[in-house]
Amino acid sequence: MSFLSLRQVDFGFAGWPPTLHGIDLEVPEGEIHCIVGRSGCGKTTLLKLAAGLVAPSQGHISLRGRPPAEAIADIGFVFQAPTLLEWKRVIDNVLLPVSLRRRPEANDLAKAQGLLAQLGLAEDARRYPRQLSGGQQSRVALARALILDPALLLLDEPFAALDAITREELQRDLLQMCRNGRTTVLFVTHDIGEAVYLGDRVTLMQAGRVVQQMPVELTRPRLSVQRTSPSFTGLCARLREAMNLQAQPA
Amino acid sequence: MTRAPWGLWAASALLLAALLLAWEWAARGLGLSALVLPAPSRVLQALWKGLASGYFWPHLRATALVLLLGIAAGCSIGFAVGVALAESSLLRGLLLPYVVVSQVVPKLALMPLFILWFGFGMTSTVVITALICFFPLMEATITGLRQVPPERLELFRMLGATRAQALWRLKLPTGLPGILAGLRVAVMLALVGAVVGEFMGSSRGLGALVIAAQGSMDTPLMFAVLVLIAALGMLAYQLTLRLERWLLRSYTSPG
Repeated sequence: MSFLSLRQVDFGFAGWPPTLHGIDLEVPEGEIHCIVGRSGCGKTTLLKLAAGLVAPSQGHISLRGRPPAEAIADIGFVFQAPTLLEWKRVIDNVLLPVSLRRRPEANDLAKAQGLLAQLGLAEDARRYPRQLSGGQQSRVALARALILDPALLLLDEPFAALDAITREELQRDLLQMCRNGRTTVLFVTHDIGEAVYLGDRVTLMQAGRVVQQMPVELTRPRLSVQRTSPSFTGLCARLREAMNLQAQPA
Repeated sequence: MTRAPWGLWAASALLLAALLLAWEWAARGLGLSALVLPAPSRVLQALWKGLASGYFWPHLRATALVLLLGIAAGCSIGFAVGVALAESSLLRGLLLPYVVVSQVVPKLALMPLFILWFGFGMTSTVVITALICFFPLMEATITGLRQVPPERLELFRMLGATRAQALWRLKLPTGLPGILAGLRVAVMLALVGAVVGEFMGSSRGLGALVIAAQGSMDTPLMFAVLVLIAALGMLAYQLTLRLERWLLRSYTSPG
């Protein structure tokens, strides 16, 4: 049985045409699974279904054999915007998932400090989010999602607002953190290169349907030089073709 | 808030001095009766006499107490009702129309009724002051709590936060700047409520003193009391600003 499984899932808001049709998705444990598609194709809705934030109108979703709403403690979520609490210091933002359950203890604090250090923010723990750059804020959001060692990490275009260089740095950080924790990842993006660089498998969505799934057969650990390798560009080209991007004249 | 530079402060003080001098000159030179417009020097005399003899102090204390009690009662009730209405769409639908209608009635027009119900004295003035404070704080609380960005609410849901946690640890901190802006408005309106309440419903307090001065045709005394009211208002406003800055320190402090 796979770790996260969606079978024949439909979703629609009452009185509106469905936004997702017949989604089948199987994510094995430890896999980094990327979902690519244009804006409005239902990627974010799919992620919210996997998180148990919304319920499917039809079909079945299970996370380790349980409905996701029951497994909420095992899920970390990173939103499009960092969504930090501006009146709390960086360290308290990272510890928020802990402090909503119980009083944070010394080992929680040490762990939060450790995560921040891994993300190059060791010096910024006592600062406020407004004193950080956009990339640093995204890193804090990532640390917050990882503080409880989630079995499943859901990311919704977390790096879309960042500049290209910062984005590459954060992609590298994400891979490093997830490899350490053996976390299963579902990563939603509209950036084909990002999906291929991060993913073990890429699912292509169009207008609320899964149109193609593609394994990414690149060696790990992924290195920046691979971004220019023929196999990498070949995969990107195949995805672009599948999205009907290749044939259009500029 | 930015502080005005010293040069501007000095210019502002000079302007005040010039206005007072012009007033003094007009009161003396034009031969206006002190009954109509007393010269600033006479107002100052009355002010000093009242303060030194201890005549003003019980009245000042009474108004300050009415202000404090009225603000405390009105703001805490306004805050509690605001939280209840923001959190429950059922209550909002049920009660908000009545609350709004109740605010359309000029509250000071209710003073005679309150004197009938609560008697002539402090209770009536506290009630009217509280009633005036209630609405801006309730309004600000409802708006503040309901302006939380949806993704933050989703974050708290994802983290398994209870409703109370979402209220205390997300909605209130997010709405706090707006709620405190409402408090500032409430405090200013409260002074109007307290003084006008005392016009009608009390024999003590700065409002009652204004009426007494009018009755004895002692215009310099009336002006002196107005100066005291202005000073009390400034003090209340500054204290509110201090409180606001203190509560919002983690929102603005540089580190």
